[in-house]
Amino acid sequence: MNEDDKERKERSLGILEDIKVPLSGYIALICAILIFSGIFAKQQGWLSVIDFNTLNGHYGAIAATGKATFRGSGGNGARDGFLFAISLVPAVMLALGIVEVVDHLGGLRAGQKLLTPILRPLMGIPGIAGLALVTSLQSTDAGAGMTKMLREEDFLTEDEKTIFCAFQFSAGGTITNYLSSGAALFGFMTVPIIVPLALMFILKIFGANLMRMYLRHAVKEA
Amino acid sequence: MESKKTVVDIFVDGARKGWTVGVANILPNVLMAFVLIQILKVTGALDLLGKAFGPVMAVFGLPGESIAVLMGAWLSMGGGVGVAASLYAGKVLTMTHVTILIPAIFLMGSQIQYMGRLLGTAGVQTRFYPVLFGICVLNAGIAMLVMRFVA
Repeated sequence: MNEDDKERKERSLGILEDIKVPLSGYIALICAILIFSGIFAKQQGWLSVIDFNTLNGHYGAIAATGKATFRGSGGNGARDGFLFAISLVPAVMLALGIVEVVDHLGGLRAGQKLLTPILRPLMGIPGIAGLALVTSLQSTDAGAGMTKMLREEDFLTEDEKTIFCAFQFSAGGTITNYLSSGAALFGFMTVPIIVPLALMFILKIFGANLMRMYLRHAVKEA
Repeated sequence: MESKKTVVDIFVDGARKGWTVGVANILPNVLMAFVLIQILKVTGALDLLGKAFGPVMAVFGLPGESIAVLMGAWLSMGGGVGVAASLYAGKVLTMTHVTILIPAIFLMGSQIQYMGRLLGTAGVQTRFYPVLFGICVLNAGIAMLVMRFVA
């Protein structure tokens, strides 16, 4: 492989880059956390606008019954499923619209920059994997591809790769899957939207560390 | 070549992606789950499932029927969400139950697909697969225990 090729490859892995995050990135990241945290859900007045469920709003009631929405009540089977699924779509569109804006303003890069220095203590993988990690939260396939490249270029040892994959395997594509498929359930969740997300992130790191311990103690001879 | 897109344009792009996900992914999954649950209900299999897994799921503060959500999730996250939605719609699960299940749906979700798409692509040695699957199921269990006290 010639030098140009190598440089291009390393740039695509976020290695040569000195990550520069504009201020807007941090602001966008904070705003996204606030919107999905539900902190402002119970606020009166304008502050409540910083909340996913306020933005998502409510369906109107059908006047005659005063209770049911367009889905009606008491249905079942494919027909009820169809109408119900339609009622879930706005939350998904809103959530992905917000994510797109946050990403555009540099919010995810801000997250990457904050994570990079703590990856080694957190789960024993080098900070260089920061971009692959943030990418894996958005797309399982893109994360897998980058992990493969990091290993091929020897930026990760075989053990580090396995640990990193343990992190990615549980709740793969976390942010995208949770905010798209998961958004369908946001309407009947009793905790703020960010709580399950934070718990999943903690357990992903926990899982990576289980793998780390397993590799250190159970497969020493290998 | 970066065209001058405003934040509004970007949001609309994202919302469009959301529409595609909603129509191409969530809707078929939810419809499939509603039909599946209908079959399980009419044949009485849902009751059996509920009785058989009642004692296990009770540990997590869930009715036995919720095992169907985890089974669906294992095949695909969207399937798990669909089954949860249809059991909620059929008043088998409450909002609290759904909340307990949400992190678990993703933590052990789509494992069959990701075995190829992630573990295969990254070239993880197959001898580690059982441990990796185990970690995900354990994560889901821990998540349900934690959510039981938060939800």
